[in-house]
Amino acid sequence: MSASSIWSAELRLLLRSGRNLLALILLFVLSSAAVLAGIAEIENQRETIARVEAEQVRDLAAVADANAGPEGDPGYAAYYAFMLTQDPPPPLAFAAIGQRDLQPYVLRVRALGLQAQLYDSETYNPELALPGVFDWAFVLIYLLPLVVIALGHDLVTGERETGRLRLLLSLPGSGLWRRRIGLRYGAVLAALGLPLIVGGIVMAAPATGIAVMLLTAALYCAFWFGLAMLIGASLRTSATAAAAMMGCWIVLTLILPTLANAAIARSVPVAKGIDLTLAQREIVHRGWDVPKEQTFERFFVNHSEWRGKEEFEGRFHWKWYYAMHQVGDEAVAADVAEYRASLSKREDLTRKLGLILPGVGTMTVLHRIADTDILGQLAYQDSIAAYHAGLRQFYYPYLFNDRMFTRGDFAQIPRYETRSGTGSLEIASLIALIILTMLVLVAGALSLSRQASQSRAKSQK
Amino acid sequence: MLDDTGAAIAIEGLHHSYGSNAVLRGLDLTVRRGEIYALLGGNGAGKSTTLSALLGFLAPEAGTVRVCGIDPVSDPRAARAAMAYVPENVSLYEHLSARENIGYFLALAEAKRGEDAIENSLSAVGLAPEAWDKRMSGFSKGMRQKVAIALALARDVPVLLLDEPTSGLDPRAVLEFNRLLDAAREREVAVLMVTHDIVSAVDIADRIGFLGQGRIEEEREASATGPRFDLNALHDRYAYAGAAA
Repeated sequence: MSASSIWSAELRLLLRSGRNLLALILLFVLSSAAVLAGIAEIENQRETIARVEAEQVRDLAAVADANAGPEGDPGYAAYYAFMLTQDPPPPLAFAAIGQRDLQPYVLRVRALGLQAQLYDSETYNPELALPGVFDWAFVLIYLLPLVVIALGHDLVTGERETGRLRLLLSLPGSGLWRRRIGLRYGAVLAALGLPLIVGGIVMAAPATGIAVMLLTAALYCAFWFGLAMLIGASLRTSATAAAAMMGCWIVLTLILPTLANAAIARSVPVAKGIDLTLAQREIVHRGWDVPKEQTFERFFVNHSEWRGKEEFEGRFHWKWYYAMHQVGDEAVAADVAEYRASLSKREDLTRKLGLILPGVGTMTVLHRIADTDILGQLAYQDSIAAYHAGLRQFYYPYLFNDRMFTRGDFAQIPRYETRSGTGSLEIASLIALIILTMLVLVAGALSLSRQASQSRAKSQK
Repeated sequence: MLDDTGAAIAIEGLHHSYGSNAVLRGLDLTVRRGEIYALLGGNGAGKSTTLSALLGFLAPEAGTVRVCGIDPVSDPRAARAAMAYVPENVSLYEHLSARENIGYFLALAEAKRGEDAIENSLSAVGLAPEAWDKRMSGFSKGMRQKVAIALALARDVPVLLLDEPTSGLDPRAVLEFNRLLDAAREREVAVLMVTHDIVSAVDIADRIGFLGQGRIEEEREASATGPRFDLNALHDRYAYAGAAA
């Protein structure tokens, strides 16, 4: 029997076991279903964006019909013209949806106070947040370890229980465990990774991104096989090895991340975005009772170019109204900065947690490369804020110079340009995952080697 | 492939303890090529520890162990390449057929043998050809034991170590097994069988050693004329050795 025949015999052993085959098929089906679900979610988001884009064109045309004219008032135009911003799904989002099913990816803004609009459609859905999303990252982080447990818990103990261990150890050949574990590792990775590769092709995702995801999956999978070696070689029976591995799975993927998440939430309290909306609105509402000169003075602190153009006749003028909204935004600027700093701090703590918890580290790498984490969401908000600032700068000359707003001006309203992707390689988390995996693999290999020696020594007394 | 004395298996002054329990206390044992040696002893007498020492599973506290002149501790790979071991009640892979099992284990042992060698060994142990390609999950204990022995034969090595080889075999299978050992003897294979089955040992062994107090207490050689061994005397001796152990 040649070397390739040994591998084919090992493959037969692997696949003729009903339990192993079922576990691998199940993983393949779940991975495929997760990729399909991810693609469906992304397609749904794309369709939503396309639908809103079409509606946006109709809506803006209606606003132009109603407000454009020789005497067109820029105040009305700015008030009624909601402009579309959208955050199309990044190409890798189908595999790691992250925040995208929880946070808004379409937002229509106008030249009023930004903070009152930014979180107006905050759609944080507790029913969705509680179970988490079913995507490829979920299958990798939570379900793959169970398949590894099914395939790897009795590698050694099973041989002992059937009386084969002494026979195997008495043979002059080498590489048995390396082949067995390597084959199972390859089979698990194939069952998990093939649907991702196909999904990546279908979604025209960048090959480097898919490669990073596969590399991360390979490391995480190796971590669990290392743990299977470590535990399987240290315990006497398959049942206790399986129970111990299940315990590790519960602790590493459920209990510790949940406890750590609770600790982070407790140590870094974050107000909801809607609180900023309410604070800004409160200031704007109070602004009606504040003398207009006082409002303009606060406005000129940051917009002095309009000083001297604040005078108007009558009790109301749009330039005062928009200045009041601008002042409202600026009044909550410190709160906004604190809110974002808290979010970033939480994200940072979660990243640090990922340095010691492989599941969290894996999730961090996947969501960062897919650009679907909180940082991606903040980047979208930043792009909205930049666009909104441009929108104000577009309207202010009309308002403060008392210029008419014609149909041609509607066409000049700035359009939002989709932000550039911010997906990146989370190197620290990846290196930590490599180190953790190497440590567990070395410990597992040493344990396996020691166990083999002990099996020989304790063979029969 | 032999040591200076011409023995395929040579153990001298072997001592080994498990903690404070001294199991082997100066064991001397030799098995020549073409000889079948039955090692009898009670439970805990050290029979399997002796096999473990030969397989290089444990390092002697004192004494020497050689298999075909090779020290199994310092060069376990070479020593294991010279011997085939059949554990008691071994269960080969149930998901593979008998033929696949032997092919697989031969590959693990890095022994290059053709299909002919596998079929010859399966035929030699008396396994019906229609069973060769069936998965072993449906095999009886005796059939499994036959496949394990066929594997040892297929390896075609100068030393066979058998741990309770007739355990679980029916009388007819025991007779067939003894014929196999006869054939092995003719091929100059040295066989060390550890057994409780004194009847089988009497039928086939050239020498029988009684292991007690950590050493060979008594050795008897088969008679060239008349009955090979005095079964009654052996039985009494065995019962005594077992009680002593």
